[in-house]
Amino acid sequence: MDAAHAQDRAGRSRLRSINRPLIARVLVIAGLLAVALFVFPSTLGADWINTFTSVAIYSTVAAGLVVLYGRVGMISLGQIAILAIGTWIATRLSFETNLPFPVLLLVTGAITCVIGVLIGLPALRLSGLYLALITLMAAGAVNVVLAQIQFPNGGGGFTARTDNPSLSGLKAVPRPSAAAGDNAYYRYTVIVCGLMFLLAVVHFASKPGRAWAAIRESEPAALAAGVNLTLYKLWAFALASFMTGVAGCLLAAQVGTPNTYNFPTQDSLSLIATALIGGIFTLWGAIVAGVFMQLLPFLFQAQWTVNPNFLLVVFGCGLLQVLLSAPGGLIDQFPKDMANLGRLIARKIPLTRQAAFGIASILALLVGIVLLVTLKSTPIVGIVVVILSPVFASLSQD
Amino acid sequence: MSSVVAFSVLGVDWEFLKPYIVLGLALGGVYALSGTGIVVLYKATGVLNLAFGAVGAAGALIAYWMVNHTSWPHWLAYTACVAFGGVVNLVYGVVFGPVFARRDALVKMMGTLALALILLGLMAWRAPAGGAFVRVLTLPSSTHYYTVFGARVNLTQILALAFAIALTLVTTLFLRYTALGTAYRAIANDREITATLGVPVRRVEASAWLGSGLVCGAAGLLLADLYTSLDYTALTFLVISSLAAALIGRLESLWLTLFGGLLVGFVQSILTPYASVTAYRAATPFVLSIIALLWMGRRRVVVFAPATR
Repeated sequence: MDAAHAQDRAGRSRLRSINRPLIARVLVIAGLLAVALFVFPSTLGADWINTFTSVAIYSTVAAGLVVLYGRVGMISLGQIAILAIGTWIATRLSFETNLPFPVLLLVTGAITCVIGVLIGLPALRLSGLYLALITLMAAGAVNVVLAQIQFPNGGGGFTARTDNPSLSGLKAVPRPSAAAGDNAYYRYTVIVCGLMFLLAVVHFASKPGRAWAAIRESEPAALAAGVNLTLYKLWAFALASFMTGVAGCLLAAQVGTPNTYNFPTQDSLSLIATALIGGIFTLWGAIVAGVFMQLLPFLFQAQWTVNPNFLLVVFGCGLLQVLLSAPGGLIDQFPKDMANLGRLIARKIPLTRQAAFGIASILALLVGIVLLVTLKSTPIVGIVVVILSPVFASLSQD
Repeated sequence: MSSVVAFSVLGVDWEFLKPYIVLGLALGGVYALSGTGIVVLYKATGVLNLAFGAVGAAGALIAYWMVNHTSWPHWLAYTACVAFGGVVNLVYGVVFGPVFARRDALVKMMGTLALALILLGLMAWRAPAGGAFVRVLTLPSSTHYYTVFGARVNLTQILALAFAIALTLVTTLFLRYTALGTAYRAIANDREITATLGVPVRRVEASAWLGSGLVCGAAGLLLADLYTSLDYTALTFLVISSLAAALIGRLESLWLTLFGGLLVGFVQSILTPYASVTAYRAATPFVLSIIALLWMGRRRVVVFAPATR
């Protein structure tokens, strides 16, 4: 009786100890969602809202990478190509049919999912470097084909592309009737992307998530434990492609008439860089990646009139910094570094070479960005400081 | 384009394709050249350099600037391009090579991706592309024309092919018969043991970075000329065509890399006259790479490797 009672109490306290952070987390997420859904649209201008729509879309794409690389350890350098495929399919379907938007989202996601699984098939045999290369090559091939067939603009045939689109035939991908305005479409996008994140969380917390973790740590061990490698690897590609396809459909309706210049070639590099900088092992990192990839260029170009190409330098240096000293990305490392800085200032820990250079590295990145934005006439100062960041990171390792 | 109907009963009309073959081999020579640079660096350091194209493009832009905006002799500009490739690669290799040395090949490759991003950003800042402004960098050798098998080729194209074959030969002999070459092969086998045997591993690796960087600058210069316009984005991503060559060589064999480079150039070029596929011929390196990668992975079922660190 007593034992059962103790067990019961232990069980309840375990339940509480699990639930308290969970409740806190849910509250934080609910708070952020409330700000994103209600505060942003009522306080920010149209250009900001459009940017935040892109942030949500690219966060979802980055979340696909979190599934593939962070959870299963399979790298894909072709996610932007999958996004472009999703956008193309959504545009093509919207010319052919009058599907209601939620159905269009699902159908686009499903078709992209099939294509993504096909691209993911080599992952059954290849890993690491070779998988990265084959996805890069597949993305390159998709780019060549897309540059040729272009996005549908009301023509006939399979590609629905014509060189002389009639003005009556040129219709934009329709947004959902309830969310035609920019603010409403922004809210719609945030909710759909939130659902995609939820889908990923549900996967992580259930059987596929455990199987993926086993595969990531050791394939032979996972196989020995009875994990179906083929099924779960392809499942990860299916999930990531579905999420990316849905994001592509949202992108198609956001821009209305998508074009190849919505997908510049260096975006595939920027995506993997920002995803790793943000933090590839958690979905929070995916949100940071979306912010880096879409909000920063907007801030640089439209708000601060700084050449947005400097961001490529920042992303490159940030990527090196993260690879060298912060595998968990900013979302993991930044709080640790700041806490270390605090302890160093309070003299609670001795100043080692490693700690000093580690903190100098992340500070150089931040100070460099600030210098780029403030010293507009001499950007070279900011660039030099930014480039010092990975050098410091390298010195902190050696 | 009535002559496009080139298929005869026995197969392809090779007479008609001759000029395209010659041009394809010239381009393939540059792919092979870059491919050799990539393979040697990969063998010596385990780094698959994706910044190869970006470094070459940046060097070519510097040469372009020196030719058009200074009164310095042109040979100095071309030397600067090649030297720039060597210096950038050497600095990257010395600063970041040792800290990446024990990491996974994938992580090493990501590091060079970062270098490519940095160079892309700097090039977009100093030499913005777009508009009606097109940069053209013509080497002096491009004004000498010869007729080979009915195709009009210039000296640059011949030099590209000759240089590729010469580099493959010299590198093979170098790896086989010199002390430094032996050190490369030893490091490729086992870096730690090589270090224990007293080989100055870091200096040997630095020399590999320098050598591959010089090839990189030369390839950038040749490609900037062969591709009619100096578009740094295109040049940066042309590394992919060279990767196809390196992958056909299984990142190992220099002669297969040479063959791979020529094959990519050849296939891409002979597709030009066929109207139905000509627009898609740029996909050749990707398709060939995918085939090569699938072939390399055909026997692997379970990967006995630790998680990527």
